Amino acid sequence: MASSFCSSISMQAPISAKTTRFSLQKPVSIFNNRKTNLSFSLHRRSMPARLAVSCAVKQETVEKVSEIVKKQLSLTDDQKVTAGTKFTELGADSLDTVEIVMGLEEEFGITMAEERAKEIATVQQAAELIEELVQEKTA
Amino acid sequence: MRISVMSQLQRSFSMEFPSLVSLKLPSPMETHLWYIRPDEVKSPSLLKHYSQLLSPSEKDQVSQLRGDALKKNALLARTLVRTTIARYQTNNAVDPRSLMFKKNIYGKPEVDWQNYKNCNIPPLHFNISHTDSLIVCGVTVHVPIGIDVEDKERKIKHDVLAFAERFYSADEVKFLSTIPDPESQRKEFIKLWTLKEAYVKALGKGFSAAPFNTFTIQSKAETKEEYSLCKTSEMTASSLEKTNKCDREWKFALLELADSHYAAICIEDDQASGGAPMRVIVRKTIPFVEDELISESKLL
Repeated sequence: MASSFCSSISMQAPISAKTTRFSLQKPVSIFNNRKTNLSFSLHRRSMPARLAVSCAVKQETVEKVSEIVKKQLSLTDDQKVTAGTKFTELGADSLDTVEIVMGLEEEFGITMAEERAKEIATVQQAAELIEELVQEKTA
Repeated sequence: MRISVMSQLQRSFSMEFPSLVSLKLPSPMETHLWYIRPDEVKSPSLLKHYSQLLSPSEKDQVSQLRGDALKKNALLARTLVRTTIARYQTNNAVDPRSLMFKKNIYGKPEVDWQNYKNCNIPPLHFNISHTDSLIVCGVTVHVPIGIDVEDKERKIKHDVLAFAERFYSADEVKFLSTIPDPESQRKEFIKLWTLKEAYVKALGKGFSAAPFNTFTIQSKAETKEEYSLCKTSEMTASSLEKTNKCDREWKFALLELADSHYAAICIEDDQASGGAPMRVIVRKTIPFVEDELISESKLL
């Protein structure tokens, strides 16, 4: 993913020395509207505490995501799914991943850009993206 | 019969299993499709031999998968790629164990020929896809290839049209919504999925280069057996124009494999074949054991 630092984003002021990088999928004006189907991602490596989005995802989100994953992949109860579980480890292919995304969108009332959706590899990443989008929606 | 011969070889500590039988290269605009049915590969010594072909990182990836079936299929997939590519080299000059792989800048796997610079290496391209019950590898010469396979009976957990509206192009949604029978609609949805995936994989630039709703694949009016690609919107440098540009750069083929799967192939069209349809040679294989030419692959 290409990352570019956009200095015109007002919500990031004031920032500490470690800046957050936004990666814009399409470099056209994105802040005219607040639609949730904008696709941008936060790189988690450097995260100022002042930003509204939290690093640690809620356990509740992780559990809901895990439930949806288990349902989509028809997993049995003894097949454990945790935050770090990779979908591919469970045998999910790209069609499964997209179906999981649809399930997550329905559950949380959000919309994920397809490119972002297909790149989700773990439960943790799904939960992070969900919380990001939910936050943005309710902000 | 062949299996017992190999067990004997193993017991006598022979270094090799029977040699791989070499193969003639695909001709231009021809795709060779190789598939393995995992339920036909049961011999533990054969599987052990396969595992010895894998690189350490491949072995790691296999071991991370959950469950024996997933591990076995991943092992078979890597074996299929390594043995197939090795067989196309002249005079069996390449040991499948020694093949190295790398990813292009977008993550598409390709062969790394750095150790073979002085050999006469043909410009092979490959791509793999697999389901629970089928492992497939497509090979071409000179042109990029993408393949995707899906179980014909695969059930979509969401409503097919809702799924299409969310992810496919408007024209594709229109096409699917004209199909009255839900079962046929589901089948057409799956076929479209494999064709679209095959294209994105052939392109090799990652998912973001070709989101599913930015292109339409449809069957050509004249012959039901061919598919063409039309991009539904093209972003030019100056403006966001919407144009309907039908691409002549990519050739598609869709077929039924092993009576159970749809397989889509997409290759770059070198424009030299004058619009002729793609030739596909399909063979079922068990590496080191046998090949079977499938002459009756139904082109859809």
